[in-house]
Amino acid sequence: MADNADPGRRAFLRGAVGAGAAGAVAGAAGGYAYRATRPAPTSQRTLENAAAGVLPPVPFHGKYQAGILPQSQRQTAVVSLNVTADGRAELTDLFRTITERARFLTAGGTPPPVGIGAPPSDSGVLGPSVVPDGLTVTVGVGSTLFDDRYGLASRLPARLTPMRAFPDDILDPAQVGGDLVLQFSAGNADAVVHALRDIARHTRGGMQALWRIDGFTSPARPAGTVPRNMLGFMDGIANPDTSDRAQMNRLVWIQPGTAGEPAWTAGGSYFVVRLIRMLVEFWDRVDLTEQENMIGRRRATGYPLSANGIHATPDFATDPSGAVIPLTSHIRLANPRTPQSADSRILRRGYNYDRGLDQVGDLDIGLVFTCFQQDIKRQFETVQTRLAGEPLTDYISPFGGGYFLALPGVADGSDYLARALLA
Amino acid sequence: MAAALAAALATTAGVAACSGGAARAGLISVSNGGCGTSWHLAAPGWHTFQVHNAAAENAEIDLVNPANGAIYAEVDALGPGTTSPMRLNVGSGSYAFRCLFEDFDPLTGPTVTVTGHSRGSPAILPVTSTDLIAPSLVYHHWVAAGLDTLVSQTGAVATDIRDGNLGAAKAAWLTAHLTYERLGAAYGAFGDFDAEIDGRPDGLAGGVISAQWTGFYRLEYGLWQGQSARQLTPIANALATNARGLRAAWPSMQIDLLDMGLRTHEILENALQFQLTGHDDYGSGTTLATTGANIAGTRELLTVLRPLLAPRYTGLPAVYTWLDRLQTLIGQAKGPNGAWLSVSALSLSQRQQIDAATGQALEELAPIATITEPRRT
Repeated sequence: MADNADPGRRAFLRGAVGAGAAGAVAGAAGGYAYRATRPAPTSQRTLENAAAGVLPPVPFHGKYQAGILPQSQRQTAVVSLNVTADGRAELTDLFRTITERARFLTAGGTPPPVGIGAPPSDSGVLGPSVVPDGLTVTVGVGSTLFDDRYGLASRLPARLTPMRAFPDDILDPAQVGGDLVLQFSAGNADAVVHALRDIARHTRGGMQALWRIDGFTSPARPAGTVPRNMLGFMDGIANPDTSDRAQMNRLVWIQPGTAGEPAWTAGGSYFVVRLIRMLVEFWDRVDLTEQENMIGRRRATGYPLSANGIHATPDFATDPSGAVIPLTSHIRLANPRTPQSADSRILRRGYNYDRGLDQVGDLDIGLVFTCFQQDIKRQFETVQTRLAGEPLTDYISPFGGGYFLALPGVADGSDYLARALLA
Repeated sequence: MAAALAAALATTAGVAACSGGAARAGLISVSNGGCGTSWHLAAPGWHTFQVHNAAAENAEIDLVNPANGAIYAEVDALGPGTTSPMRLNVGSGSYAFRCLFEDFDPLTGPTVTVTGHSRGSPAILPVTSTDLIAPSLVYHHWVAAGLDTLVSQTGAVATDIRDGNLGAAKAAWLTAHLTYERLGAAYGAFGDFDAEIDGRPDGLAGGVISAQWTGFYRLEYGLWQGQSARQLTPIANALATNARGLRAAWPSMQIDLLDMGLRTHEILENALQFQLTGHDDYGSGTTLATTGANIAGTRELLTVLRPLLAPRYTGLPAVYTWLDRLQTLIGQAKGPNGAWLSVSALSLSQRQQIDAATGQALEELAPIATITEPRRT
């Protein structure tokens, strides 16, 4: 009786190595299940599974990449990379290798032994058998990939540009842009870094990391509410309903036949990453009422200032002068909830970050803001433009990020990321 | 030995059973009287054996192709009474356990044959100490010749500095340093001489101002910081003296056979850590040149090991592909006048290309140490 077959190990420009029986994980599940991702209480079972590191695998194959719709996981890493592959064939090999590693890592399994022919094929960080821990690997491409290196200029997505600087940004060029973005999300930090380490090991010659930021989602405190950001406020309350397929088709997924979009982009989604420092020492010196007026919600409860309930819809129409929720508050500017603003809504997936200290000894903590949408200009940039100059800008400082296109999903075991782009 | 083996045989019951699957792992019991004496393989595919050492000595247990001794899988240093998993993809072919107990002759158990045409984990012919002796002697001679050059070149540096020709000394310093770096002095190859000849100030009290700091990097620091000939003369003289000392000691210094394979990636691991990061740039901006010299040193090891590697390592062509690419990239990374640039002066794209090629070359090199580890057969 034989064990379950292992996937062969694919590495950049080496194809499948080791003598693994072909490891195509069977079955195209037809995309990540549309499930409600309203940031309502995570089930106790899910929390326990996450804490124990035993979240089930998230199906890798489907029309869309599996990491886009689910709620923020407990841990994430966002890594921007530049491609160093030499020519189109190597670029294709790079995407095939990323795909095959992600397929294995998200499914989990025992890494193939190497006999006396090589060092161990896996870092062992997750034990002798790789546990999936809910891992998702989301891959996007930046506009610079479409320069003259790979002959892709004619396939540039219509709405993909370098990230523009907004009036309140102080961008560090070393933490902006990139040919690719990889986001690893899972229940625990070890699963995130294990996956990053594995993919980096198998693609060393093909890409080089440019910048990286790790993020985490706090538990909902108190239980049953919505996780908080580092300003102490619940974040991401008013998101589109990801279980509403029609709404996702209007707001998130690039539709086949969209004007100007190359056909290969269908099923993709524009992926904006913004690295936003929060000047929390300054913030902590601000009166609570002023804080709540800047956000538009109660800090303790997450309720809109005009309503009783986290998910209650603030009625801006009956408060035209901003007597209750100031006109300049974050929630009012970000989402005015008018018919005109409906199609500028974005699917927000924020994570907190905490990475040490700045030069005066203050905490370098903030928000890894990510969002998905159909059209960056119509959605993210419109929202961001409405927010320009909001009072909150004094307490936050965007310093990096990038615009990417999250690729269409991987249909099945023979498909790979960016296949349609490179075909 | 014969008597001990006979005694062991009398007291041993080697039991073996096999099944696959994580749930019903095959138990392979080995002792110095029986090496997996009754086992079978029902089918090709992934199998996990639980190898149990029932003897009183440490053992190395290999699963081999009995026809030629090639190893499919090994469990190293299995202590008495302990059990360790051995996992492999069994294909069509012949399999037998081979037990290597300390102080006993190797013992090979019964052969099990799997018919059909399934491809399993490949078996690799072990490399023995005997196999490594000839390559290590060739390498030893090559280093000796390099040390002759080093002695002459460090002598020239010292002369330039004594004469106050500091411009000439800078050029001579680079020539001599690259000669040394070509010798692949990674991880203690030259014992204490390496710290004297090529030591870093890290770890010395005071760092760059430490009087204990000596050698090439100390000289580089002084030459490019504008220190005087008088100040640098004793340092240059000491460098030349240490080079002569190393040359004199080298004939009696042995190369650990295990190191032959290890060095094939360790030299460039060091380059990645200290040269390509710019850490070892003490003013001359020549860490890329040093990396180039390290590539040359790696190539020499590959050349002497090639007869052992060619039949064992299918990734060997990729090693050369990536070393070639790295070398080309480094050659292209010079300034407009052909001078070396410090890594911080490179464009981001140049630097990422070089780092990527180095990383990939290291991945391709890494299996060599495992393959050429000297094994008992």
